Amino acid sequence: MGNQKFVESEEYDLRYSTVGDLDPLRAWLKIRGMLHWFPPGDDQELENFARMWIGFCRHNAALTATYKESPVGMGSLYLMPYRKVAHQCMFQLIVDPDYQKRGVGHSLVKNLKHLAKTQFRQEYMYVEIFDEKSPLIDLLKELDFTEFARQEKYVKEGDQYFSRILMGSFLK
Amino acid sequence: MIEESILEDRELFKRLLLQPGVLEYFPMFDMREIDDAVRIWEIFARQKASLTAVKDGNRCGIAFLNLQGYKKLAHQCLLTIAVDEAFRNQGIGTELLRELCILAKEKFKLEMIHLEVYETNPAKRLYEREGFTEFGMHPEFIKEPTRYINKIFMQKTL
Repeated sequence: MGNQKFVESEEYDLRYSTVGDLDPLRAWLKIRGMLHWFPPGDDQELENFARMWIGFCRHNAALTATYKESPVGMGSLYLMPYRKVAHQCMFQLIVDPDYQKRGVGHSLVKNLKHLAKTQFRQEYMYVEIFDEKSPLIDLLKELDFTEFARQEKYVKEGDQYFSRILMGSFLK
Repeated sequence: MIEESILEDRELFKRLLLQPGVLEYFPMFDMREIDDAVRIWEIFARQKASLTAVKDGNRCGIAFLNLQGYKKLAHQCLLTIAVDEAFRNQGIGTELLRELCILAKEKFKLEMIHLEVYETNPAKRLYEREGFTEFGMHPEFIKEPTRYINKIFMQKTL
């Protein structure tokens, strides 16, 4: 099934994330190689990271993509607690490797932008990317995100370093 | 003189944040947010990652390392610095920054240190002088009633 067909099929849907989505989120993060794209490096860090992510579902600030009612991807707005910076937020995104390259990430980011703008009156949304080779970069460019910072050697895995790329998009 | 902060310096940090104009250069807005920031400072102070400047018996500045919680990011961290308005332009910021870099490199084995400074903050010149270089700018990071302020990212290899 092509990208467009997959996310337009009746069996594909988006809903607010729930606390129950912690299980698939944790499972995806545990897939070999997945943590390369995220800050955690071990099981304890993964657990804390996943719980923080899922915590935003209490504010209806996280979305889950489903196919045949099973989660295939998630995205969450990390709303800022301080008033002067509450007009902009970071987000996180993950797609089940079995459903990547089918438009799920595009659909999630597009809808997160809409959610951020309409429900939370966000004016700017950004993401941290932990490897300049991330496939997320091209996806974000399609959705009007531009790079605003690049920090070399921000991530260190063993003796290898990776850059942090920050990309953002105005929502106003 | 620069010394390791003590937990009682929480009052100093709070006092510095409450001085006129200081919050223009920090994300906090009200007492609840300041108290939250002071609680976060305590976490780093307990890890011995905070330094206090003392001049003629007056505790007059604080600089600390926001040590990273994630292991693969733990070779670098963000820093925060604040100097009492009555003691500015006397080299205290420079001394704090230099000692903090030494602490970062020698005690915490950090390879890189970075900071975030709003474009309106004159302290940016101090950071440039001390070898920090820009690597990006977060547009309209701060929203005030009549204006937006960009945030500049700077870093220094240790």
